[in-house]
Amino acid sequence: MHEGRQAFESEPERARRTLSGGVLLFRWVSFVWMALLNLASTEPFRRPLLAWAGIGAAGLWTAWLTSSRSRRRRDRPVTLAVDLALSATLVLISGLVVQPDQVIGGPRLFYATAYPLSTALAWGSAYGLAGALESAVVLGAALALSRAVNGISPASLDRGQILSLVNGIVNYLLAGGVAGVVSRHLDRSAVQLRAAVDDSIRSRERAARLDQHRSMARAIHDSVLQALAFISKRGSELASASPVDPAQVADLAELAGREERELRALILREPEDAPAGAASLRAALEALARAVARLPVTVSSMGPIWVPARLAETVAAAVGQALDNVVEHAGATRAAVFADVQDGWVEVSVRDDGEGFTYSEDRLRLEGKAGMLESMKGRIEDLGGRMRVHTAPGAGTEVEFRVPVRPEEAPRE
Amino acid sequence: VSEARSTDPDEGGTRGEPIRVMVVDDHEVWRHGIRADLEGSGVGVVVAEAADGGEAIEAAREAMPDVVLMDLQLPTVSGTEATRQIVEESPHVRVLVLSVSGEEADVLEAMKAGATGYLLKSSTAGEVTDGVRRVALGEPVFTPSLAGLVLQEFRRLSSRDPSEPGLTARENEVLRLVAKGYVYREIAERLFISVKTVQNHVQNILSKLQLHRRYELMRYAIQKGLDRGPE
Repeated sequence: MHEGRQAFESEPERARRTLSGGVLLFRWVSFVWMALLNLASTEPFRRPLLAWAGIGAAGLWTAWLTSSRSRRRRDRPVTLAVDLALSATLVLISGLVVQPDQVIGGPRLFYATAYPLSTALAWGSAYGLAGALESAVVLGAALALSRAVNGISPASLDRGQILSLVNGIVNYLLAGGVAGVVSRHLDRSAVQLRAAVDDSIRSRERAARLDQHRSMARAIHDSVLQALAFISKRGSELASASPVDPAQVADLAELAGREERELRALILREPEDAPAGAASLRAALEALARAVARLPVTVSSMGPIWVPARLAETVAAAVGQALDNVVEHAGATRAAVFADVQDGWVEVSVRDDGEGFTYSEDRLRLEGKAGMLESMKGRIEDLGGRMRVHTAPGAGTEVEFRVPVRPEEAPRE
Repeated sequence: VSEARSTDPDEGGTRGEPIRVMVVDDHEVWRHGIRADLEGSGVGVVVAEAADGGEAIEAAREAMPDVVLMDLQLPTVSGTEATRQIVEESPHVRVLVLSVSGEEADVLEAMKAGATGYLLKSSTAGEVTDGVRRVALGEPVFTPSLAGLVLQEFRRLSSRDPSEPGLTARENEVLRLVAKGYVYREIAERLFISVKTVQNHVQNILSKLQLHRRYELMRYAIQKGLDRGPE
C-alpha cells in the first residue's frame, strides 16, 4: 500500500514540482542578467578577481542545481543553506568589489542584482512564510553590511540610501512571501487530498472486510455448524446409551478434528472483491435463506450479481417478505430462490412446493390479506420494477420480481 | 460383502434388486450413515467403501458398483479426478456427487468429468435413496443451484464463442425452471410436455456439458500439436 501511495502523485504535488522548476528558471534568468550587467558596466571593479569569482560561483551553483535532477535534493536543508550563504556572500562582496561609496547610486548597477531573490523564492517555497522571513533577514543583514564594507557609515546614510536599503529587504521578503503562501496552500491541498484518498482506501478496506466476514459466516454455517450440530446431537445420544461404544466416540472425535481443519482452511481463504458502492445480491439472498429456520431454502444465483447497495437491500426485503409468506401460509416443505441478471434487468424468483392458491388481488384485498402483497409490490415498483405471481391450487407458488439495475436508465422491455 | 445378492450386476437396480452402491467419503461416520439409510430402505446395498480418491478408483474396479456416491473433498486424488477415471474405465457406472454447499464450482467440474447427479449433503435420507435410484436409471439429478451453475457455464461458453453448440431455447427454459426449484413433473406440466421429455432435455444438457469438456481437451491437444508442428 505504501508503494502505491508513493507512485501516486497528486495535483498539488505536481503543482509543487512546477513551482520548484519555476524558481530554477528564475535563477537562470537572474544569473544571466547579473553577468550581463557586470560585463556591460563602464566602471571597473575594485577587486576584479573576487567579483568574477563571485559571478562564476553563482553560475556553477545554478548549473549544479539544474543538473541535480531530483527535486528532493534541491529542497534539502543543506542545499538551501549553501544557497543562502552564497547569495548573502554575493550581496556582501558587492560592497568589496565596486568602488567606494558606489554601492548605492553610482554608475555601476547593484553587483548581485536579482540573483539573491531566487534564494528567497527557494526558501519560501521550501519552508513557507517562516522560511521567507528567515532568508530575508539574512539577505537584508548582508545588504546592510555591504554598505559598511563599502565604506559607507550607517550615520552618513541619507534618506534615499535608507529607502533603497529598505526597498532591497522588502523585495526579498515579497519574493519569499509569495512563494511561501503558494507553497503553504499546496501543502494544505496535498494534505487534504491525501486524507480524502486515505478515507476512501479505508472505506474500501472496510467493505472488503465486511464482505469477507459475510462469506466466512456463510461458509462456517454451511459446513462447520452442521458438523457441530451433528456432534452435539450424537454426543448426547451416546451419553445416554449404555454401554457406550468407544468406536462411535472415536468417530465423533475424528469428525470434530476434521471440521477444525476445515475451519482453519476457511480462515485462510481470500474474500471476493466488491466494486465500489455495489453489493452482492447473491450474498444478500443467501443471508436471508440462512435466516429461515423452518424449512430448507436454496439459493441459485447467476454469479454474485453486483448491484447498487440500495437495490440489493430493497430486493432482499421483498424476497424476505415472500419467504415469510411461504413459512406462514404455504404449507411447503422447501423453497428455492433464483436470481439472474440479463440485459440490465435483475430477476429474482421465490418458489415453494406448497399448496398454492387461486391468485386474485381483488379477492385477497376483500379478505384483508393483501397487505403483505402490496407492500412487496410497492417496494419493487418504487425501483421501477414489477412483481408477478404464478400459482394454482396444488401447484406451489412462484413470486417473480423484475427490477432494472439502473432505474433512471431502465431499458424498455 | 454382498452375500445378500446373487443377481447379475448388469441388471442392478432395473428390476427392483438392490442397487450396488459404493460410498466414497473420508468421514467414516458419514459412510456408516449412508449404508444404514440405503440398506434400511431396501433400495441399495453398499458393496464397497473408500476414504480417498485413489482408493475409490481401485475399489470401483474390484466391486463393480452401479452407483458411486462421491464426496469431492478427498485426500490424495480429488473426487472430481476419481469420477473422471471411474467413468472412463467403466462408462456404465453412474456417479452421484454428494457435497456440502459452497463447493458448487467443484461440483460443476465433477459433472463435466462424467458425474450424473449432485445432491447436497444436507439432503434427507429419502432424498439420497431417491437420488441413487434415479441416477441408477441414468436420470440426471440436478439441484437448483447446480442447474444455475450449468446455466452460467453455457452462458460463458456462448459469450466466448457463439458458434459453439449451446443450449436450445427449450433446453434453456427447462434448465432455468430447474434452477428456480421446479421438479421434472412440474416442469412437464408447465411446458405441456411429458416428464420423459423433460428428462431427455436434462440428459441432453448434461451430454452437451460433458461434450464441451471433451472439445476443450481436444482443442488444447490440437493447439499443442500445431505449436510443435512443422519444425
